[in-house]
Amino acid sequence: MSAAVKAGMADYFASNSDVKYILFGGKGGLGKTTLSAATAYWLASRGKRVCVFSTDPQASLSDIFERKIFGQGEVELAANLYAVEIDADRRIAEYQEEIRKKIKDMYKMETIPEEVEDYINSSAAEPAMAESATFDAMVELMTAGKFEYYVFDMMPHGHAIRFLGMADILDQWVEKIVTVRKKAGEYGEAATVIGSKGSLAQEDLVLKELEYIRGRLDFVSTMVRDRKHTAFFYVLIPELMPILDTRKALEMFREFNVTVSGVVMNQVYPRELKDQPDVPVFLKNKISSQQEYVQQIQSEFGSLIRGIVPMLDREPKGLKMISKVADILYGS
Amino acid sequence: MGKKEAPKEPKKQSEVTKAAKGFFYGMALHGMVTYALRLRMHMENLFMLITMGDMLGIPVLPPYYSLRLLPYAVPSLKTWKQTLLRDRDITDSLY
Repeated sequence: MSAAVKAGMADYFASNSDVKYILFGGKGGLGKTTLSAATAYWLASRGKRVCVFSTDPQASLSDIFERKIFGQGEVELAANLYAVEIDADRRIAEYQEEIRKKIKDMYKMETIPEEVEDYINSSAAEPAMAESATFDAMVELMTAGKFEYYVFDMMPHGHAIRFLGMADILDQWVEKIVTVRKKAGEYGEAATVIGSKGSLAQEDLVLKELEYIRGRLDFVSTMVRDRKHTAFFYVLIPELMPILDTRKALEMFREFNVTVSGVVMNQVYPRELKDQPDVPVFLKNKISSQQEYVQQIQSEFGSLIRGIVPMLDREPKGLKMISKVADILYGS
Repeated sequence: MGKKEAPKEPKKQSEVTKAAKGFFYGMALHGMVTYALRLRMHMENLFMLITMGDMLGIPVLPPYYSLRLLPYAVPSLKTWKQTLLRDRDITDSLY
């Protein structure tokens, strides 16, 4: 391989022992799930209790581990190795039911008013709903603190940026709502004290809910920017589009003050193949093209390159293949 | 007779006190209370707009979070929608 890795993934973890949250981002179909699984496997094989979680709407942890993980909660795959793939639709349905029950209990209602019911139902159709539900599940998992390491297979970069941006924007909105709510409370209180009118019974409960929402958002905002506890790796392959995407993503992450800990180059054809006599021209051309991009990645991302994973002769599925990828990425 | 009139005394007193209280409240405090309640109403409307705005096609907070606040907004939903959607004309500004 012509590109050099100055400090690999294992070196990174050796010199960043406080890291607890590991995020893998990148364009779709480049191997984020495989590398997340390999990282979780490597950490688990070193005796660390690890959970790998997929935030990708097209999650494929179940396919990679060849186990039914989707919607099953924390599934134990091997000693210390757990995986979670959330069923966002089911989570949303349960959440809606919880809201309905709360309204019925609060107002002693038999049925939910039509306009409220319509609102609850239509909310499920919003695209942001699934993202928010995943986001919430992610925070729930981290705050439960049952694992030493959390490996997140993030959604493709566009979504991931929105995911991060959403936390910031929402945080600002929640801040505004809290201010409005507090002011409303103050005026209501003033009216109550002077004129014995008005009711403040629900004021504290609303503020409590807002604080809860803000707490969740703050957790993610802080986590992704926390260099001490969070590592963010970006996955790319030696092709033009992923290089451009990575360049753009690194700029955007910089804007969000998120530091990328490293870049992993995946699906690289071994250069030696090209010199073998029986290799078809098609493959030779592919290898030559890849090598040009490998050089480009090397000169553009240099010391950020933490690992190079070759194109494997079979799909990385099952624990055996995942352990092979882990060996390549972390060195056996 | 005297025995019958005796219990009326405190009632008379309380009615006088009530009237005095009402007079004082109307003269000094009613304006302040109304003003405070009006401000609260505006704040409530703003709160409802930010949290439940997508009911009227103004999406601010994602529904996942507004649903969490929905139970507390149920009693005010109807009046809030009416306030926000009612037609306004120039005479509104006179009030």
